[in-house]
Amino acid sequence: MTIRTIEVRERVMAKNDELAAEVRRRLAEHDITAFNLVSSPGSGKTLLLERTLATLGEELGIAVVTGDVQTQNDAERLARHTTRLVQAVVTGGACHLDARQVLDALDAIDLANTHLLFVENVGNLVCPASWDLGEAAKVVVFAVTEGEDKPLKYPKMFRESRYAVINKVDLLPYVPFDIERAIDNALQVNPELEFFQTSALTGRGLHEWFDFLRWNTALLASVH
Amino acid sequence: MHELSVALEICRMVEERLPLGRTRDVRRVGVIVGDDAGLEPANLSFCLDALLLQPPFGSGHTVVTMCPGDTLRVDYFEVDDDNPDD
Repeated sequence: MTIRTIEVRERVMAKNDELAAEVRRRLAEHDITAFNLVSSPGSGKTLLLERTLATLGEELGIAVVTGDVQTQNDAERLARHTTRLVQAVVTGGACHLDARQVLDALDAIDLANTHLLFVENVGNLVCPASWDLGEAAKVVVFAVTEGEDKPLKYPKMFRESRYAVINKVDLLPYVPFDIERAIDNALQVNPELEFFQTSALTGRGLHEWFDFLRWNTALLASVH
Repeated sequence: MHELSVALEICRMVEERLPLGRTRDVRRVGVIVGDDAGLEPANLSFCLDALLLQPPFGSGHTVVTMCPGDTLRVDYFEVDDDNPDD
């Protein structure tokens, strides 16, 4: 028996990162800011996107790539709020989106008339943290119903995110959630994290979120 | 699920380095996993072993080496060049 050893010495994510770089290049060509929305299931990110599309969809030319696991429910909900293309990526049981799926989705989006792209990732606080999709930043959404220790339980996701949306704050009177402790926990993991406190249901805190999106979109446009 | 996705990617990396039909001769795949890589090494071994026992592979198995940090790398793989079926 002759055993030959073939050295590889390559990161498992190397191919994904190469494709993410291509996503980033194509987005930059069209001055598009992209945010990767990550969360556990049920954090309210689809409703946050619905509200965002309803208010800013036309103003900012928002497109969405969404990653339902088994259904197109999220895509159908989002499509009710915009005539702009919503490209659904159904991942068929996978636990995250990868850069190839986003790159393929870009082919179906009118990039010339898009200024802001949201990728609504699969609801999962573990796996999507490891996959670069070519976004400008990850935005982690977590709801007050989830417990303030989420950042400590899932540190990689909070470390990889630049922004955190603490959602469902309308439920604060009814749940034992200490918002200051939640922020402290998140800052322990990632001292650079910036926060929004929202209720996508009642609209509380959404003005700050919308202003942030306007500012980011205008900023990129002003650079080019 | 995450480990299975990673295992599938590792198989793709091995496949692209071998001529068609040689994947069945893969005997070992060495993977380096950091303790902060967000993976359970035993789960990764389980998933990758399961894939390496199926076509287009046949009798490979996984060798995981742990290290500090968030490294996740395919280090090497071994191929049996004297497979009598070739």
